[in-house]
Amino acid sequence: MKPTRNALAALLLSASAFSLPASAGDTLRIATEGAWAPFNFIDQSGTPQGFDVDIAYALCAQMQTRCEVQTQAWDGLIPALKVKKFDAIIASMSITEERLRQVDFSEPYYSGGLRFVAAKGKAFDTRRAGLQGKVIGAQRATVAGQYLEDQLADVVEMKLYDTNEAVYLDLQAGRLDGALSDELPTYEWLKSEAAKAFEYKGEAFAKDDKIGIAIRKGDPLRERLNKALQAIVADGTYAKINAKYFPFSIY
Amino acid sequence: MIDLQGFGPQLWAGTLITLQLACASLALGIVLGLGGAAAKLSGIGPLRWLANGYTTLVRGVPELLTVLIIYFGATAALMALAGLFGYDAYIELSPFAAGVTALGLTFGAYATEVFRGALRAIPHGQREAGMVLGMGRRRIFLCITLPQVWRLALPGLGNLFLVLLKDTALVSVIGLEDLMRKATVAVGYTKEPFLFYLCAAFIYLTLTIVAMVGIHLLEQRANRGLARS
Repeated sequence: MKPTRNALAALLLSASAFSLPASAGDTLRIATEGAWAPFNFIDQSGTPQGFDVDIAYALCAQMQTRCEVQTQAWDGLIPALKVKKFDAIIASMSITEERLRQVDFSEPYYSGGLRFVAAKGKAFDTRRAGLQGKVIGAQRATVAGQYLEDQLADVVEMKLYDTNEAVYLDLQAGRLDGALSDELPTYEWLKSEAAKAFEYKGEAFAKDDKIGIAIRKGDPLRERLNKALQAIVADGTYAKINAKYFPFSIY
Repeated sequence: MIDLQGFGPQLWAGTLITLQLACASLALGIVLGLGGAAAKLSGIGPLRWLANGYTTLVRGVPELLTVLIIYFGATAALMALAGLFGYDAYIELSPFAAGVTALGLTFGAYATEVFRGALRAIPHGQREAGMVLGMGRRRIFLCITLPQVWRLALPGLGNLFLVLLKDTALVSVIGLEDLMRKATVAVGYTKEPFLFYLCAAFIYLTLTIVAMVGIHLLEQRANRGLARS
């Protein structure tokens, strides 16, 4: 959705009487979504929380800037950034070609990768040779599905599904020896009751899903954010926040 | 109050926002609808074109887009305008005002047609009779036409209001914390989609039933003195 710059009609309709200048000052306004636990969510008292929010505050402390974290539904995030309602979006947003045409991104502050999942306690060798003849499931048209087709098609027996839920269900039903999927969303599933009997196998690999902080095109804020990000990674603040949500590094 | 894992008060706050939005949009929409219908039936050409343009445009654009255009479009336009004068900061439009404007405009466009139908259903002879009795145009409109238009338009308006009530869920994209948004947020926190979406559905249903009873009572009152056929 691209808000039109010359929306004169809209201007006339919602008369300027409604407008009031924002008291922006030197406060950095950061937006997040609030419905993507554990990265960003809103608790009972209406306060935004989660990994993204902690990172936001850590960056602000590092930059010695006053910050305000606000939440807004996903579809409104980029439009609101572009009309300067917010200065940055820290909402687990993947850096994609399409979005780069609209906004700039900081260096990635975490990245998602692929990881195998299989039954708890059973030996499962994730090396190429060890996967010989195993039945492995993944979601079609995802990074995981593509990886199976490109790299392991000649070794494993591949089963592709339309949704990740279907992969999990067949894993539970015993039709699959293992599944390949995005590491971080899978972590949420592994914590659920249904996934009691399963665990990660091997380490994450193919960390291609880069998550960055969106800012307006050409905003010098980008450099400040990148510096602050380096600093919190270097001084261990990042690792502390990371450990609060995941027992492994997601940087 | 029911606790709902601590999210009860949040849902309640969302319900209030939804109600405020619906009622404010209804008021704006009825004014716009009456004005639109009067303009469409008037003898002045440009007024008719304006009203036709309004209903065609608003009814032809999805409500979500109307909400986005009014909020972000107006902000961008205002800022471009302010930029011409060297003022380069964010200009805040109240999301509530923008939401009410968008929903009110939509309601008004549909209500225009409801009112137009109702206005046309009143026999011309009644106006002439009023004139014969020496009543002015204003009095004829207020004492003869309007009470009957109200009666004829009520079922249609009631219908539109029920649609409006649920369209309020669209405004979460501009940062308003309505019932639907609060439910989504609670699901994100608790991972209990069934509980909270069912709860939201139940609240919408309750609001709808209350609205239907209200509309029914209004209809009964408007129809007093008329034989049921």
